[in-house]
Amino acid sequence: MQTLERRALIKGAALGVLAFTVGSAEVFLTPREAHAQGVPLRTLNADEAKTLEALGETLAPGAREAGVVEFVDQQISGPAEEALLEARILNVRPPYANFYRAALGAVDRMSQTQGKRFVELSASDQHDFVDRMRQNKLEGWQGPPPPFVYTLLRADAVDVVYGTMAGYEALGIPYMAHIAPTKRW
Amino acid sequence: MATNEKVDVVIVGAGASGSTFAAVLAKAGKKVVLLEQGPDWQLSDLISSDLWGRRIKPAGAPFQSEGKNPYGYAYQSGWGVGGAALHYFANFPRLLPSDFKIKSEHNRALDWPISYLDLAPYFDKVARDVGVSGDAKAEEIWRPAGEPYPMPPMKTFRNGEIWLKGFEANGIRMVPAAVGMNSTEFKGRPACLYDGWCHVGCPIGALANPLVTYLGDARKAGAEVRALSTVTRVMVNDKGDRATGVEYYDAQKQRQVQEASVVVLAAWAAQNPRLMLNSSTDKHPKGLANSSGLLGKYMMAHYASGTWALFDEDVENHMGTIGAQYMSYERYAKESHKGAFGSTYIVAGTALKTNDLGGFANARADLFGPALAEFMKSAKRGLTRITAFGEEMPNIENRIELVSDKDDFGMPRAKIVHSFDDDAIRVWNANFEEGLKVAKAAGAKEMWSGRGPMPTIHLFGGTIMGTSAGDSVVNSFGQAHEIPNLYVAGPGTFPTEGASNPTYTIFAVSLRGAEQLAANWSTVAG
Repeated sequence: MQTLERRALIKGAALGVLAFTVGSAEVFLTPREAHAQGVPLRTLNADEAKTLEALGETLAPGAREAGVVEFVDQQISGPAEEALLEARILNVRPPYANFYRAALGAVDRMSQTQGKRFVELSASDQHDFVDRMRQNKLEGWQGPPPPFVYTLLRADAVDVVYGTMAGYEALGIPYMAHIAPTKRW
Repeated sequence: MATNEKVDVVIVGAGASGSTFAAVLAKAGKKVVLLEQGPDWQLSDLISSDLWGRRIKPAGAPFQSEGKNPYGYAYQSGWGVGGAALHYFANFPRLLPSDFKIKSEHNRALDWPISYLDLAPYFDKVARDVGVSGDAKAEEIWRPAGEPYPMPPMKTFRNGEIWLKGFEANGIRMVPAAVGMNSTEFKGRPACLYDGWCHVGCPIGALANPLVTYLGDARKAGAEVRALSTVTRVMVNDKGDRATGVEYYDAQKQRQVQEASVVVLAAWAAQNPRLMLNSSTDKHPKGLANSSGLLGKYMMAHYASGTWALFDEDVENHMGTIGAQYMSYERYAKESHKGAFGSTYIVAGTALKTNDLGGFANARADLFGPALAEFMKSAKRGLTRITAFGEEMPNIENRIELVSDKDDFGMPRAKIVHSFDDDAIRVWNANFEEGLKVAKAAGAKEMWSGRGPMPTIHLFGGTIMGTSAGDSVVNSFGQAHEIPNLYVAGPGTFPTEGASNPTYTIFAVSLRGAEQLAANWSTVAG
């Protein structure tokens, strides 16, 4: 890679953190830290963020605190070739923000046919909604295929809850890194 | 537009096949330039993380996928030096003699223009070059004898050993897997640590990726790598019988020309035909070297039947490699499964991670919420998997074509049209059924088939080899029939795919082609 670009990438990876913008400064945080500090979002609007957070928590409990919203927002705000999202390996065409906007919009439009946004549904109704999304049983859905949305958003939630060093530690699995993403990320 | 000083060889793509050509030709004293569209990764870029590992795969493939079984491009391909072999699992089964003559023996599919015995010396040579661990003698119950591998088999772990009883009960002999990994130190590269991070890139050099093997050799011999350089067209002379170089866009997205005496396309099975289709001239109106009409045709993929099982003991599934500990050709004969046609290659024993496509969470992709959390806890102790890879027969309808939509460089994107035929589906199903029998006989507490949309794994065809310009695009060395100083390297030249993981054969076929080119340099280069 080009020297400067490579140095920046290695710096981020070696620290195990991502670059977030706070005020006018760029700071390196894990998504969990970014969530705890209430780092401003760059791409998702407030409604999209709430929907994503509720979906993430429904898919993989713990995803909210693990920073699923901050992770996705940071990832879709930069160049596609630097993205760490599963969307990348499942052939979603960049810019990835387009997919997330379409998916989250489709979820809320579908949910509102029942009178409420997804985030306003009870936990039980959120679970049922996601289960129907998984099985492609949401009639009138307008957006990317529901099972694909389920797969990708579930992957994001799994990534932040289980795919980090902290996630491995919580499950009691030795991480055994050669080149460690330190700070448990 | 800038024109660079003419070189002996320009190679498009710095993955497994391009690196092999580069090493041979640079060592033969040729001036070699490799143009690689992705970054110039270093070993220190290879972070042990399934998230960070996604960086070494492409973001936004210039291909659309169509057909009943759309091709899953990004997970299979590479982006940057090393190509897909920077993140491959380094399973090194080879094709078997029957793979080279399916047409002759079964009146199905196609024959290769060479036999297994033509390639056998190159399998042995690649093993000596890059390092292979395994037990050749044990494998020879299924294939002709050859040289021993340079290293003994890798260590095994409970996640692999626990399956052996089940295989034996079903009449399936398992032998130590041949892998492109170091069970012992090899040529100054360390032995494997068995931490299971192979698939995101091995930064210690224990796994035979191109950076520490042929690409490293090529660089030492003076080959130049130009990263972030995207080739859009192969140039030919007015008569249409000689390649003169390539056009590409550099890291600053400036258009450049690199003239060369020989052009080697090693940009993978999908991109090579896309480039050749985009290089049409009045002498080659259907794309370069395409009088057969077969350019972009006969695309093939593997599929896998994964059987998951939970055992009531700690199977140490965090230990091992992502490659296999045990392998078997017991179901490799084309008619192994009654009523189906195609080879099966079986592996057992793999380290597992928590996330990404092959991780715990995807073992039960239907689970979410508290049920997923519970599953993850049980998976860490007793979850393990076996996999049977299946062969697809070449079908002319499975193809690559240019489309009107263009990429960032103004080059037409392409579509990959792919559907598995009924034979492939029958082999896939038969392997699922047998996998469950094996799991039951192995004493698993719970077992299930890893079903979902039929997966597309690896990629072959599109520039197949044959005997003449009437039946194929290239000869057995990868040399285009109609343009003798244009070579195509990689799995795109395979007329059939077998069921074995491809990279060992890619190295062997590429080494054979590169040595032929070096030996006949003055004739070919003119």
